[in-house]
Amino acid sequence: MKRYLAKRLLYALLILFLVSILIFSIARLLPGDPIQAAAMMNMDLANEEIMDDLRSQFGLDRPVVLQYGVWVKDFFVGEWGTSFGSGEPVFEMFLRRLPVTLELFAGYVFWSFLIGFPLGVISAFKRNTVLDAAITSTAIVGISVPVIWEAIVLIYLFSVHFQIFPPSGYVPFSENSMENVLCMIMPTFVLGTHSAGMYMRYVRSSLLEVLGQDYIRTARAKGLKEMAVIMRHAAKPAMIPVVTVIGIDWGYVISGSFLVEYMFALPGFGRMGIDAIAARDYPVIQATLLIVALFILMVNLAVDLLYGYLDPRVRVK
Amino acid sequence: MNTKNTALLIPSGKSRSRRKNVVFAILAHKMALVGVVIIVSLICMAVFAPFLAPHDPNDQDLYRVLEGPTWEHLLGTDDVGRDLLSRVIFGARISLIIGIVSTFLSALMGSLLGLIAGYKGGVADMVIMRITDTFMCLPVMVMLLVIVAVLGPGVENIIIAISVLTWTTFARIMRGQVLYVRELPYIEAAHADGASELRIMFKNILPNAISPIIVAISIMLGRHIMLESIATFLGLGVQPPTPTWGKALRVGYSYLEIVPLYSIAPGLMITLAVLGFNFLGDGLRDALDPRLRGEGRKI
Repeated sequence: MKRYLAKRLLYALLILFLVSILIFSIARLLPGDPIQAAAMMNMDLANEEIMDDLRSQFGLDRPVVLQYGVWVKDFFVGEWGTSFGSGEPVFEMFLRRLPVTLELFAGYVFWSFLIGFPLGVISAFKRNTVLDAAITSTAIVGISVPVIWEAIVLIYLFSVHFQIFPPSGYVPFSENSMENVLCMIMPTFVLGTHSAGMYMRYVRSSLLEVLGQDYIRTARAKGLKEMAVIMRHAAKPAMIPVVTVIGIDWGYVISGSFLVEYMFALPGFGRMGIDAIAARDYPVIQATLLIVALFILMVNLAVDLLYGYLDPRVRVK
Repeated sequence: MNTKNTALLIPSGKSRSRRKNVVFAILAHKMALVGVVIIVSLICMAVFAPFLAPHDPNDQDLYRVLEGPTWEHLLGTDDVGRDLLSRVIFGARISLIIGIVSTFLSALMGSLLGLIAGYKGGVADMVIMRITDTFMCLPVMVMLLVIVAVLGPGVENIIIAISVLTWTTFARIMRGQVLYVRELPYIEAAHADGASELRIMFKNILPNAISPIIVAISIMLGRHIMLESIATFLGLGVQPPTPTWGKALRVGYSYLEIVPLYSIAPGLMITLAVLGFNFLGDGLRDALDPRLRGEGRKI
């Protein structure tokens, strides 16, 4: 198990290295350089002297390899540069916005598990019935509906028409817990539907597969109650493919969180990313991408760990 | 060389009856049928847009902006008095073109690299797979926005960006398939027969490894249409005055309280497109994978 872990960790580091080079190159692949691009967006900077000043301030006049080294070092000590747009340190911007996004993720986990898992189990046990067909079709609809459209429809229904939830904006939990929950219900639900559909399908198919195995028949034959069969023998192996999906799904969830934060005007990490992309604010874009990559790599590592726990064969390999 | 005999031994995947079976299986699969109906309607809408649209999509009538549905304008009018229905119908064109071209390019690139990685192994495999792993850490939508922001908006740039970001999906699928197929006895037979590497790769392995790629093409088509509309929605995609669903969704969203249909109608079209391709993809998966046939829908 230790060797397996060490191998996965080394591999993640290699990929992190490759990703960081990719992210670092994006800003350098521009026609001209980031400063020129920023000057095109912001006329105050469009002056050769100011631009040269900025170049040396951001170290853009140094050799590329050195620039990369400095960039990586700075990232790990929390010096992520300053935003071209607001002039604020990127690291502080990130810290301030993190709680909003974490709350969004927590709500997302709540909805996707609450909807996905029970419905998946029900449709596996009611296989090939009308109920099963209804649940599986709902799952595909949930997977297909684009986040932006779902957000618009929900805002129209629950904010404009019925006026139950606020259409957008964010109230911190510490300020007003009730309003905080109200303003997070729609965004978290929108973010959760896609994954709920995915989990539903995978829980169903993987349960069906496991329930057809010989050892389940053995467990039933020796007189175990159905509940004991599921909890003791079926649940753990059935979780393996589901855990894979949960891992893979995070890429989508991050994209989704960017859009949801944009649609519902939540001042989170994703909103920061979208604003930075629209303004071509390179220090913020680079930091955003690197955090996203780091996060996804950590999720993948966690999934690998879970595999080791769920599937003893992995540990031996 | 006795090519006649090996032709019998080595399946080339071109059997007519198998294709017929797939078509029947899809037509029998209710969801897939719904998918086919949606997709065919969308394609007809795009092709016959000039005949179907009641008005010129770019005709402005500044005296009649942001109107609700009337007999003359069935979906109402937009912020500069253009007929919304006509713009939604014409919007199918750009969405389908971007979806089809980007999926084609990405499938071509990915399948080819996956084939090479799976068949050749070694350094080629390592390089290609490390690249796909690297891309996997960066969500496609986020990277799409970054690349389009860097390249500048426009149809070609969106197509390039989507293809460059999504080929890895096809490469992974193809590689997995090839690793399985290349160990089958008939490939060994082809080797023994002295067939060239290229011939084995493209004539014997490719046709027998392509089923999951076809399923993925259907699902990715819907996803690419969605990606385009998101980029356009955020102002980074196709530029006005081209009628697009994403743009209508964007502008309509700001008038949600006055004319809800303005954003809801184009959004529904995007949803239908994605849904249609997902339904078809599901049906194709069941039809192309004999292991799942007759067992109900598994995944």
